[in-house]
Amino acid sequence: MFLRKPLAFIKRDFLVEISYRFSFLLNLFSILFWVVTFFFISKLFGESAAPYLKDYGGEYFPFVLIGLAFSTYLGVGLQSFSGSIRREQMMGTLEAMLLTPTKISVLVVSLSLWSFIRTSLNVLVYLLLGIFLFKVSLNLTHLLPAFIILILTIISFSSLGIIAAGFIIVFKRGNPITWLFTTLSILLGGVYYPISILPPPLQKFSHLLPITYSLRGIRNSLLGDPSWGALLPNIIALAIFSVILLPLGILVFNYAIKKAKRDGSLIQY
Amino acid sequence: MPYAIETVNLTKYFTPTPGLGRLLAHPFRKKGVVKAVEDVNIQVKRGEIFGLLGPNGAGKTTLLKLLSTLILPTKGEAYVNGYNVLKDEAGVKESIGLVTGEERCFYWRLTGRQNLEFFAILYNLSSAQIKKRIGEVAELLEIGGMLNIFFKEYSTGMKQRLSLARSLLPNPQILFMDEPTKSLDPTAAKNLRTFIREKLVSQQKKTVFLTTHQMNEAQELCDRIAIIDQGRIKACGTLKELQSKAGIPEATLEEIFSYFTSK
Repeated sequence: MFLRKPLAFIKRDFLVEISYRFSFLLNLFSILFWVVTFFFISKLFGESAAPYLKDYGGEYFPFVLIGLAFSTYLGVGLQSFSGSIRREQMMGTLEAMLLTPTKISVLVVSLSLWSFIRTSLNVLVYLLLGIFLFKVSLNLTHLLPAFIILILTIISFSSLGIIAAGFIIVFKRGNPITWLFTTLSILLGGVYYPISILPPPLQKFSHLLPITYSLRGIRNSLLGDPSWGALLPNIIALAIFSVILLPLGILVFNYAIKKAKRDGSLIQY
Repeated sequence: MPYAIETVNLTKYFTPTPGLGRLLAHPFRKKGVVKAVEDVNIQVKRGEIFGLLGPNGAGKTTLLKLLSTLILPTKGEAYVNGYNVLKDEAGVKESIGLVTGEERCFYWRLTGRQNLEFFAILYNLSSAQIKKRIGEVAELLEIGGMLNIFFKEYSTGMKQRLSLARSLLPNPQILFMDEPTKSLDPTAAKNLRTFIREKLVSQQKKTVFLTTHQMNEAQELCDRIAIIDQGRIKACGTLKELQSKAGIPEATLEEIFSYFTSK
């Protein structure tokens, strides 16, 4: 069965995860603290932020809640591939995996699946807290375009993450891709504030980052009442990122594996 | 292909990455090359216990990793169960199991059984095969009673047996063992050697290729021994043949080793 191996990884990671019960609780509290913190920050802004947020319903708290929730996919997309490979290298289990008749591409994707599932649960917790605790009103009539944007977002971020994993395989530490895209995405991607408040030259850089289109598309879908036509530019931009970055990621990763096998460093850490 | 393993001028050179200081001081200096394995020609017969004996850093583990497709050779050829390690990686992987002396190569917060089930899926075993095979290897290795215990609670000997159990899951024809008794106490090491000889080779007809730097282990266990030093095979054969090559008829393996390696 095609999904047997990915499911085995999910089961393994789930069993390991629940063996750390305190970590699970801490994660939930961490989300709660972030949401509460930004709720009070949004009180500080009051109506003054409304002109910048008119495309997203005019309120800061729902805007930043979506930013906080969905930017977690950026983190997991960029870090989970390289992080999980490095973890397996350090545990000594990567060698045992590489000796099984399992394709490396299947291994890399499967190693990160649990991280994406956990992140999706975190996003759900963010949204449920927003809806039930802080009475945020989400428009659930555009779930299909939001889902398409989410899938393209995951593909784009994961492609960057696979490139980052290639760096980790060759250089072990010092991963410029994750650092660069995380920093720039937080600064220019519109996680905490709309990019319209940035100076125009910086806004141009924002348009080179997938997160800009992800957050704009998801916010428009869940906070506004857009037509498909209005969402289409975000979908097209993310599709272009995906089409370029995914093959590039696979290319870089395959090269990294070959180089590490040549150098004899595939299972070193 | 009459041999379980055959290499033809198998060679592996490494180019070490220079440190940042050296790179800044001499950015254009040509990198040095480490000759880890050089022109290795060996033939291992089916059903044989073949020992690779050498000091630390001699190239034993590198040769083993070349044969198990974890490292690409610089030149030369290697065949495992008739499969070329460069051209038919999948065929090689289906033919081999690898046991290392490494203690950390499992998931510590899973039980022995959960660990074996996970790797069995990676070995493409069906659900029915997994149950059957884990039962068989548990019986063979006498580990049935410890499978439901978390790996973190295992002793070193238990960890080693679980590692052996994992390598046997796909029922491979050839077993690679990298210093398998490295961290075992003398009794556990002797038990493992008996197990390899009586169960794996005599009963199950497997080919065992093991690396060691322990003379007694090589002498007690192996049908033939290759002495490796500085990446080169210095001599290869049965104890009698090695004695004859060294020209010392009653020599111990230690004396033969010293003769060929000057150590």
